[in-house]
Amino acid sequence: MSATVITITSGKGGVGKTTTTANLSAALAAQGKKVVAIDADIGLRNLDVVMGLENRIVYDLVDVVEGTCRLRQAMIKDKRLQDLYLIPAAQSRDKTSVTPGDMIELTNQMRDEFDYILIDSPAGIEQGFKNAVAPADRVLVVTTPEVSAVRDADRIIGLIEAEEKGPGDLVVNRLRMDMVRRGDMLDTSDVIDILAINLIGVVPDDENIIVSTNQGRPVVMSNGSTAGQAFRNIASRLNGQNVPFIELKEESSFIKKISNFFRA
Amino acid sequence: MSNQRISIKGTSSGLIINIGSGVWQGLIEELDDKLADKASFFKGGRVALRVGPRQLTRPQIESVGQILKRHNVTLWAVEGEAPGTQEAAAQLGLETQLAPAKPQNLTPDAPQTGNALLIRRTLRSGQVVHHPGHIVIVGDVNPGAEVKAGGSVVVWGRLRGSVFAGADAGIGEKAVICALQLSPMQLRIADKIARSPADDDSQEPGAEMASIQNGQIVAEPWNG
Repeated sequence: MSATVITITSGKGGVGKTTTTANLSAALAAQGKKVVAIDADIGLRNLDVVMGLENRIVYDLVDVVEGTCRLRQAMIKDKRLQDLYLIPAAQSRDKTSVTPGDMIELTNQMRDEFDYILIDSPAGIEQGFKNAVAPADRVLVVTTPEVSAVRDADRIIGLIEAEEKGPGDLVVNRLRMDMVRRGDMLDTSDVIDILAINLIGVVPDDENIIVSTNQGRPVVMSNGSTAGQAFRNIASRLNGQNVPFIELKEESSFIKKISNFFRA
Repeated sequence: MSNQRISIKGTSSGLIINIGSGVWQGLIEELDDKLADKASFFKGGRVALRVGPRQLTRPQIESVGQILKRHNVTLWAVEGEAPGTQEAAAQLGLETQLAPAKPQNLTPDAPQTGNALLIRRTLRSGQVVHHPGHIVIVGDVNPGAEVKAGGSVVVWGRLRGSVFAGADAGIGEKAVICALQLSPMQLRIADKIARSPADDDSQEPGAEMASIQNGQIVAEPWNG
């Protein structure tokens, strides 16, 4: 078993890197893979919160790199899913506490044991980003359908190409079909038109994400949300399966209310 | 321990360092030794690097530049066959051809045809290409990318970033900018600047060429 290291990055902040990392890690683990998620956003850790593992942190990434603890001690096992682990970021340090070489060494130590190592990159293009991308076999670029996010994604893809990590695969997050239909939001095709890289998933804007983030329970762990289904599909595609893209429908709140009424 | 991997020659274009095949790290160490051996000979001079088919990255070229600098030698050109090497050198503002540094019989109407840079990929946001001659890009120029050429710029793709053509005073207003789809952020030819119209719905599909006519930048269908 030799793990695939997948780095999730975006350039711009707030587009859903951490949510994507948490959900893909959980979805891959639910599909029977052995997965470890690494939070590379040192100083602004979040992945532990989104995954609901915050209260179990004892050691973190920097402790491992500095030799304060053994690798195994910093790995938090998720009790809800078999074979899902998290290495949290340090809260009180900064990005310079770790080097790209450290990240390569760390992931190499885990490659034999896992199927997937997912790295949650910080926003930006500085040291933190370089640390996160250095060990990557694949890079997922997350963007939202906004001009500024797409511009940053384009910049990031250029940097990934310069590092010879390939152009990466694209996740378009928080798409709202009602706004696309009105012409108020870029459509997936507009984003692809600029970025010209492989699309691996489209995730609709979904209130469930905010609820699940606050609860520390990734949406893929419950059924019934379209965002959760979209993340499960991306996980399947990472596994090499050919899954058709979900037909995203606009659901106006009025129709939703009526259908919920009849369902109830 | 062959010494043939690095050879240094004097030519009409000045000193040229030929870099042969071998492991890059070993080669640059060898170069460092050679320069140290003949420090007084090289001191204060300028040299060109000839790398053949080897693909050099920008950091690699920079590292050579630093070694040379340590020996008080200036790097002015990198000549290589790989397009990536040329591109990296151009991005660092180095010449990519060892042709005479100051072309003599050059008229503005006949810019030196050999001195064009070919880029075979899409330029993404934040990427910058500067070249003293013409630039040909096979790929798109995305929003946020910047191209600056002494001569003309031809984009075999969509031009959505910023392009500055005719930066060389010798060519200036005679430079043109062509693209299969011309919807730039900003165009500059010599000292003229044009912004894209705010409503680009009127944009006609198809190749266009921008040039200076009567003192302003005008885009017209590109019919060859």
